[in-house]
Amino acid sequence: MVWLRNVVKNYSADGQLVRALDGVSLEVAPGEFVAVVGRSGCGKSTLLNLAGAMDFPTSGEVLLDRTSTNSRDDSTLTKLRREKVGFVFQSFQLINTLSVVENVELPILLAGASNARAIALDRIASVELAGLEHRMPHQLSGGQMQRVAIARALVNKPKILLADEPTGNLDTTTGSIILGLLKRLTREQNTATLMATHSAEAAAIADTIVELRDGKITGVKRK
Amino acid sequence: MIASAKLFWRLMMRPLVREPVRMGLTVLAIALGVAVVLAIDLAGNAATGSFHSSLETLTGNYNLEVTATGGVPEQIVGQLSTLPLNLSISPRMEDFAIVAETRKSVVLFGLDLIGEANLVPGQSGDSSLQNSGSQEDVFKNFSADNSIWAGGSLGWKKDQKVSLIIGDRENTFTVRGVYDDQNQPAVLMDFAEAQRAFARTGKVDRILIRTPKRENAEISAKQIAALLPSGIEVRSAGTSTEENRKMLAAFRWNLKLLSYIALIVGAFLIYNTISVSVVRRRAEIGIARALGANRADILLAFTCEAAVLGLVGAAIGIPLGRIMAGGAVKLMGSTVNALYVSSRPGPIELGISSVLTAFVVGMGVAVVAAFAPAQEASQIPPIEAMARGRKEFLVRVHKTRDLLIGLFLAAASWLAAKAAPVNGKPLFGYVAALLIIVAGTLAIPAAVSSVMRISGAALRKSGVAALLASRSLVGSLRRTSVLVGALATAVAMMVSVGIMVGSFRTTVIQWMEGEVPADFYLRPAGNPSLEKHPTISPELADKLAALPGVEAVDRLRAYMANYEGIPTTVAAADFHGSHKRGRSDFFSGRTGEEVFQELRGGNSVIVSEPFTYKHNVKVGDTISLRLGTSLASFRIADVYYDYGSERGFILMDRSAIKKYLPDDAPSNLAVYAANGADLRQVHEQIERATAGYRVLIFSNADLRREAVKIFDKTFAITYALEAVAVLVAVMGVAGALLALVIDRKRELGLLRFAGATSAQIRRMILAEAALLGLFANAAGLLLGFALSLVLVFVINKQSFGWTIRFHWPVAILSAAISLIFAATVLAGFYPARVAVRLNPIEVVHEE
Repeated sequence: MVWLRNVVKNYSADGQLVRALDGVSLEVAPGEFVAVVGRSGCGKSTLLNLAGAMDFPTSGEVLLDRTSTNSRDDSTLTKLRREKVGFVFQSFQLINTLSVVENVELPILLAGASNARAIALDRIASVELAGLEHRMPHQLSGGQMQRVAIARALVNKPKILLADEPTGNLDTTTGSIILGLLKRLTREQNTATLMATHSAEAAAIADTIVELRDGKITGVKRK
Repeated sequence: MIASAKLFWRLMMRPLVREPVRMGLTVLAIALGVAVVLAIDLAGNAATGSFHSSLETLTGNYNLEVTATGGVPEQIVGQLSTLPLNLSISPRMEDFAIVAETRKSVVLFGLDLIGEANLVPGQSGDSSLQNSGSQEDVFKNFSADNSIWAGGSLGWKKDQKVSLIIGDRENTFTVRGVYDDQNQPAVLMDFAEAQRAFARTGKVDRILIRTPKRENAEISAKQIAALLPSGIEVRSAGTSTEENRKMLAAFRWNLKLLSYIALIVGAFLIYNTISVSVVRRRAEIGIARALGANRADILLAFTCEAAVLGLVGAAIGIPLGRIMAGGAVKLMGSTVNALYVSSRPGPIELGISSVLTAFVVGMGVAVVAAFAPAQEASQIPPIEAMARGRKEFLVRVHKTRDLLIGLFLAAASWLAAKAAPVNGKPLFGYVAALLIIVAGTLAIPAAVSSVMRISGAALRKSGVAALLASRSLVGSLRRTSVLVGALATAVAMMVSVGIMVGSFRTTVIQWMEGEVPADFYLRPAGNPSLEKHPTISPELADKLAALPGVEAVDRLRAYMANYEGIPTTVAAADFHGSHKRGRSDFFSGRTGEEVFQELRGGNSVIVSEPFTYKHNVKVGDTISLRLGTSLASFRIADVYYDYGSERGFILMDRSAIKKYLPDDAPSNLAVYAANGADLRQVHEQIERATAGYRVLIFSNADLRREAVKIFDKTFAITYALEAVAVLVAVMGVAGALLALVIDRKRELGLLRFAGATSAQIRRMILAEAALLGLFANAAGLLLGFALSLVLVFVINKQSFGWTIRFHWPVAILSAAISLIFAATVLAGFYPARVAVRLNPIEVVHEE
């Protein structure tokens, strides 16, 4: 579902060229849970951004569900993202002025689709937050907020789920629960899930662990 | 000290500099507010010619003046010179003329040119009156007919022929000399010549006196007055200047207060800016407190931040204000001349005191506006400040408490509006207006919150942009409320003044329908200044009355007078005759015929509404008037509405005034065409009959149009002030929306991750701007209506004495509000652009 072929990504930082990814090739199949591990600054987030059509590779190719993201205009990429990609972030990134159900139905509303409320409520139930639909983010715990974020990411039934350090702001127990949830939903919805983490424990639940160092893949372990 | 300065720069100022657009908008808002206040102040001084009427030039060092309504009989001059008081005496004739070639008016003095030669310096420094040649030449020039001396700034040359229209006559004069007028142009002629030219032979307009001991002037005045007839007044020279100053006071005071509105709007914006500053720096505040800064340090830091903004704003505002004063002088000058006194604008003087005042005002407003958020910043506990996840929506907005306080203030405003004026100034009216604005501002958070709650479903149906926009505004309720308050204040000012002016205009137009009934009006082509009333030759009225197609001719004769130290006009009209009269609105409700019947008795007068207000008199009271050499008493038979000028008007029958002032020459003529007469033909007949006279002929429609044109011109300065206030508010909206975008960049980046297009982001920001505009317009409309009641029924009434009938200028208000709404949405374009250009990856990811 996600293919990266010999992807190179360079950034310019203070006049200096930084190579964030250096010839990365990676494939994530539907229903597969892949963890990308590496230290801070190794290129994990860059990898996720490219996989999520938030950015272009400098060279190489990125395909999302057989659609290349190279040289697409912003509106095409946005459409692609909206239909096929869901994001989960380390710091949850909920909109504080919207309730739980309003946060979850946001992608549907942005897509202009109908029946947003019913779908959102269903998603909230799937992450075991039924009854909390009308709470505001500041009234939730960290784990609950991350569940809302996961529900939002999956509300449009995306083909690809990208999770950037999803347990980084959670305690160990809550983090395990969230990882379990991610894995379950990956299977149930046959989503290709790519998770960036620097925690070996978090990576352990994945089907495939990809080690990234200085922008290069240094190892791939499959269960 | 240096360490504090370094810290201040690094922690407070440098972050500001990094947001040049937003800071620029805030500073510019203050600059505009200061500029407007300064411009009105400077222009006020200049436009009123430093309170000198044009006729006050060339007064020399005389310390007393003798005047009488209708002119002082010239034998009084002889009487004064025989008094054993060692007085220096100077009789004067004073009026205006129109230069035929340029149609501009010029002051005209009749002097004893030989005796006053020292007052008239030549351009080389010597008296120009003595520069005309030999002694023989000098006397020949003085005695030659049609000789004048011209002020240098008129640009005329010696021996030049100049045609002047004086009253209803045009004559050609020869310039015998040019004098240094110090940029106060005037034309001088021999005293006797002036008496003839003004058709006031046997009268003196004013006698100036210099007493031997200036410090005993008051005693001398009493001694002199005791020796003169009771109708003749002796007073300090320059008294008319003082009288004009009093008359102009209300006008200037109202304008000054209007000019402060822009600054008040700017104050809202400073409050908002500092509030945003506090929110953004919560963590830094916590760190600073944890490291040893105390509450006073935090309070001082934010207050100084505001002071710097005010200082920079004032520094920009001062030169801007000086530039704006140039335009303001013209606008104010035309109002002063049209409604009060002929005055040549003086120079605009930007002195040290004006500059210092501007700085104090700019910085003062900024510091006062910033105090509340600065105080809040100083109270934040360090631990709370440093806690992650604290957002502005957690800042408590005491909606209910503020609403209750607002209601209380609204009630206080109602009470204040009922209070009487203080020294002729509607001070409590101003307090009422301010209380309304504060009350309205306090009620805004509750209103915004309620409306958003009620319209939640509708907003959801309007699309995700409207939903997100509304939630964003409610989520930042304090910020939203301040913004809405700022814009609503500007809108309220515009609405209230628009209603007041619109009501006034409609009242005047409706009044004219009843009070301007004649078919044609004639007046002398000489300047009809409110101080002087040039006359038409008496035989002209008879000529017109004899025309076929003319049913009747009414004569009005007006005199400049003063009553209880305030300039007023005494006039007389024909109240005999059976021709049509307009509908007259008298306070008693009686018909015109009933009232005029009483006037024909000769001991009664009718007075205008402004007169009753200024002098606190009513129907049935007796007033004493100086007419000619007599002091006469009259009973007030009734009061009528008069919107012709703010000066009071006393009107009596011609037969009554002729007992004291027998001059037959009218100031104005009203011509009534016969029933069925062709008005165009009648007009042509009038033109033929008046050939050889310099008179202006107005048809009824012309006169009304002219009156409305003058009316509209007098409010030009007000419209300009409103526009500045609205501009300041809209700029504030742009700045605040930009701040909101910057503060919500994480959220905006997230929306992009979630699939929002650039267009959707843009629509969201514009929707916020539109919602702000809608709220502000609605609040402004309500506040403006409340303010207009205070303006119309309290401030205007207590300042000028006019009754204005309330009227909604729907078309103008709708257009103006639509324009403001559009401007508010436009103000959202730049913040929307910034929002669209945010890089979502940068703003969302934490690496």
